[in-house]
Amino acid sequence: MNVRELKTALNYDVDATERQRRLTRQALGAAPVVLFVLVVCIVGLQSERFVTRETAVQIMAQAAPTVVVAVGMTFVLLTAGVDLSVGALMFVGAGLAGHLAVAGWPLGLAAGVMVAVGVAGGFVNSVLVTRLGLMPFVATLAMLYIGRGAGRWITETRAINLPESFLVLGASSWLGVPTVAWIASAVAVAGQLVLSSTPFGRQLYALGANAEAARKVGVNTARVTAAVYIVSGACAGLGGLLALSQLGAVSPRFGELYEFDAITAAVLGGTSLYGGHGRVLPGTVLGALLLKTVFSALVSVQANPYLYPLITAAIIFTAVLVDTLRTRLAD
Amino acid sequence: MSTEASAATPTPPRVVLEGVRRSFGGVAVLRGVDVTIAAGEVLGLVGENGAGKSTLMNILGGDLQPDAGAMRVEGRAFQPRSPSDARNAGIAFVHQELTLFPNLTIAENLQLVRFPRRAGGPWINRTVSRRLAAQSLERVGLQRSPNTRVERLSAGERQLVEIARALDSDARVLILDEPTTSLGASERDRLHRLVRELRLAGLSAIYISHELHDVLRECDRIAVLRDGAVVATGSAGDFSVDSLVRHMVGREVRQLYPARRSSPALEPVLELRDVTRRGVVRGITFTVHRGEIVGIFGLMGAGRSELTRVIFGLDRHTSGEILLQGASLRGGPWQRIARGLALVTEDRRLDGLCLEASVADNLALASLRTLSRPPLGILHRTAVDAAVRQIGADVRLTGTADLEAPVARLSGGNQQKVVLGKWLLTRPRVLVLDEPTRGIDVGARAEIYQLLQRLADSGTGLLVVSSDLDELMGISDRILVMRHGDISGSFEPGSLERERLLRAALPASVA
Amino acid sequence: MRAATWPLSRAAAGARAPILVLCAAAFIAFTVTIQGFASAANLSGILIAALPLLLLATGQTFVLVSGGIDLSATAVVGLVSVAGGLVMSADAGLLADHGAAPFAGLLVMLATGILAGVVNGTCVGTLAMPSFMVTLTVGMFAGGLAVLLVRLAAGTETMFSLPRVFVGIGGTPLVAGLVASGCAVAAQGLLGKTSYGRMLRAVGYNPRAARVSGVRVARVTAGAYVLSGLFAAFAAILLTGSLETASPAHGRPLLLDVIGATVIGGTGLSGGRGQVWGTALGVLFLAMLGNALTLLNLSDFVITIVKGFVILVAAILDHARGRG
Repeated sequence: MNVRELKTALNYDVDATERQRRLTRQALGAAPVVLFVLVVCIVGLQSERFVTRETAVQIMAQAAPTVVVAVGMTFVLLTAGVDLSVGALMFVGAGLAGHLAVAGWPLGLAAGVMVAVGVAGGFVNSVLVTRLGLMPFVATLAMLYIGRGAGRWITETRAINLPESFLVLGASSWLGVPTVAWIASAVAVAGQLVLSSTPFGRQLYALGANAEAARKVGVNTARVTAAVYIVSGACAGLGGLLALSQLGAVSPRFGELYEFDAITAAVLGGTSLYGGHGRVLPGTVLGALLLKTVFSALVSVQANPYLYPLITAAIIFTAVLVDTLRTRLAD
Repeated sequence: MSTEASAATPTPPRVVLEGVRRSFGGVAVLRGVDVTIAAGEVLGLVGENGAGKSTLMNILGGDLQPDAGAMRVEGRAFQPRSPSDARNAGIAFVHQELTLFPNLTIAENLQLVRFPRRAGGPWINRTVSRRLAAQSLERVGLQRSPNTRVERLSAGERQLVEIARALDSDARVLILDEPTTSLGASERDRLHRLVRELRLAGLSAIYISHELHDVLRECDRIAVLRDGAVVATGSAGDFSVDSLVRHMVGREVRQLYPARRSSPALEPVLELRDVTRRGVVRGITFTVHRGEIVGIFGLMGAGRSELTRVIFGLDRHTSGEILLQGASLRGGPWQRIARGLALVTEDRRLDGLCLEASVADNLALASLRTLSRPPLGILHRTAVDAAVRQIGADVRLTGTADLEAPVARLSGGNQQKVVLGKWLLTRPRVLVLDEPTRGIDVGARAEIYQLLQRLADSGTGLLVVSSDLDELMGISDRILVMRHGDISGSFEPGSLERERLLRAALPASVA
Repeated sequence: MRAATWPLSRAAAGARAPILVLCAAAFIAFTVTIQGFASAANLSGILIAALPLLLLATGQTFVLVSGGIDLSATAVVGLVSVAGGLVMSADAGLLADHGAAPFAGLLVMLATGILAGVVNGTCVGTLAMPSFMVTLTVGMFAGGLAVLLVRLAAGTETMFSLPRVFVGIGGTPLVAGLVASGCAVAAQGLLGKTSYGRMLRAVGYNPRAARVSGVRVARVTAGAYVLSGLFAAFAAILLTGSLETASPAHGRPLLLDVIGATVIGGTGLSGGRGQVWGTALGVLFLAMLGNALTLLNLSDFVITIVKGFVILVAAILDHARGRG
């Protein structure tokens, strides 16, 4: 559903004044930050061990893979598309890399394979969406199934335990900050730079705002759209590498639900599902940190782990609701 | 067009159009248009809606292909297949609906496909970009930082950015389509100053507008388009507002319109009392009586379509009352349909028909409640088929007897008949129509007029919104004219005052 | 986003009711190439196992016709099953061993499915949120809730000892078959013969035109999701009965099949087009395909991959057909 249909469906009224609309929009946009501060305060008061350096470091490490995947997802969401296959691509890449690592291949090569798998998967997605004209969610949903099936086939549904060398990346730190967090930050910075300072990035925003007008003005919309899926795939591969280096093993459920975390992080951070709006920095990164902080908080107060999917769902739902309301109020 | 001064090597005219023709689905919209524009000349193009201005400009701008005729730009043959071709040849079209991206800055909008880059890398050189953008803005006299997001600009400022974008691509001819409709007085002056400066620098322009005073003042020459052909052309000094209006309307009366048999009753069936919707229509008050056909004339932007949406409940009105047969109308479309109201919208493809559904399904769509039986809402196949077939015959759906075919395959005229049939099946007390014969061939038009007249004769009240003055004069008992959101006049066409009607529709400054 | 068209449109548009041809072709191909495929036992097994899928896909048909998608259906099955167990199970249910347990259980299960549908329907229909995100999220919530509830009540993820009467519904092939086919027939009637069905299609084809023509788009859209939830409840009743356990895992592996069956069966992803009988044939095709691949001793993941490809091809053809 595009923005115009959305407004028709909601019987958009002229009655709210300009100023009211803008204020509400800004309020809605600030919600995640407010939520972050709130969570930290409430839990911090309850549990002393929460607002500590250890917790912060832990959150950064846990958030790192999500941040990387979410950066790629942000690119896709800016075009009003979605990539539901990122988790599956991570899984396939991890399975392949796991086998190679166990067979004695050097770490760097195995890592390269993961990213390559992500790029290949992203390329397939891009063909499905731009050349065959499929709706992004259908194409990437089908790829999700194919990917998970392929991953399970590769890993023969058994866990693969990786050699020690692999864990070095996940366990090491530099200047007190985990290496994976540095890598994630670099990816986030690179992503934001591409979005704000390259012609490709600016054309991406134009396409998200009005694809038809972008085409008329001479933007190669097919190429731009294809590129975002490849970026998303590459980020999935890299994110998988970071996750793998922390877990040290590939289980049959590796990568599951990463797509939701990525979408949630992006939407919480201000990226709209309807396209044209959103930033990697500070938006998506903040969204990912918020998400992981909430979960860390839940662990800290020893909440029932069976509540986690419920809370995740509630957060995503709220993020999407806020996005819908904010888009409705936009000019 | 060359004068004695340049007799040595006469410069070819900047733009030449010869015998341009274009039809849509059998309806001729341009019947051989001849236009010439010299270098550094501003040509004013005037004509009623439906005279063919947009089609002509779309052809010149590369969005449409002509069926026949030739075009030359600076002496070379010009056959654009896309807007890019036209842009490359120097034709820059500044549309009424602007195509800027509000979420990007001015500089980014100007340079979206030609960003200056740093040292061969992928990064945008912001310093150079800002400087280039500032130069472009200076050329059009817009004093805003190039880093301003377009969403913060006023309509007038956005228009200047559009013009700047056109100039950036080395435009030789600037087409300005109704450039002043969303501008305040000072912005309008600024625009006109800019056009004058550009003209001195050698740029040609086509200025399309209903603000006839502006056209007379700012243009070198004027061409009047009527019914798809240029009926008058000459230097601006040779025209006056009166003569322009006369050229725009004067035509032979076509024998399309059936004579009215019965005269309207005195019983009001639809009443609007001081109906207002903020920003759109203001203080609308009028009455439609049983069996009466009331026409609403006006130019685009006058608020006519918006009024029909308010009457039908698609948009809420902020104050005032709408009464159907004496009782106030409330709620959305489905409630108003149940009370006996019907609306044929302006754009049948957009919201009049489900194009992929069958003719029969479309015909039955508004009557599903009455055709089905409670409590489960089961439709009786034979009853529905019979009703649908009957209504198809009533509206004289020609050619395709196959009611199961998707409605997308029908001609424009037949599609419109399906829309009418859909509403007739609901047996409305009041039928509101917005541009009922747009894009329809003469034969189907005549049939639709007959249909409307029969409806009125049987007691239905009709409200017809149209840009076709001739059509309204042919079928209406009374014509209201809207301008800028309110009603500027009410006319009985017994006095054939076409010119008065057009003046009532034109911007207040002209009338 | 405009895509370069491939010459598939000609191929897809030419065939009338391609699903019928596809089913026949598949049947013949599998009978010929696979030993034991066409045996009475195997065929009846296929049909019986396909009944819950038939119900889910039928419910999904309504949602697809409205122009949306319901990705929560299979998770709702799990939630409904757990809800039933919480009422009826002799181990941990509220009405354990009570005479009214089966009926109360049935009621609660149906109500749960409808409630999920109402939530989805309100968000998509009234609030106009994107259907795939909303239903994905609701599905996640429902799945998580099911696991939480079953763990709280029974300490494990499965509840046993369900009343005989209840189990008889899903467990007796004849009864299950009657329930499923009855529901499918009723659904076909609703979609094809009632004003609601026509309104739903109109919303799927052109929601703006539907609104102008007096259709209450929000309500009609919401109704489709309520129906999907209701049919998910029926599927849960069958699954819970035939497996004789209440568990959040029932239905989880079926989401891929649900989407596949509806798309293959001719229900367009963009709305408007679709028939229940087409969906039923799509279910039949997928059931035969799954069975054939299992008989060929292919592992589960290969089957998943194949089904993923089938959806892809079906979606591509559907898209080409729409533009042909």
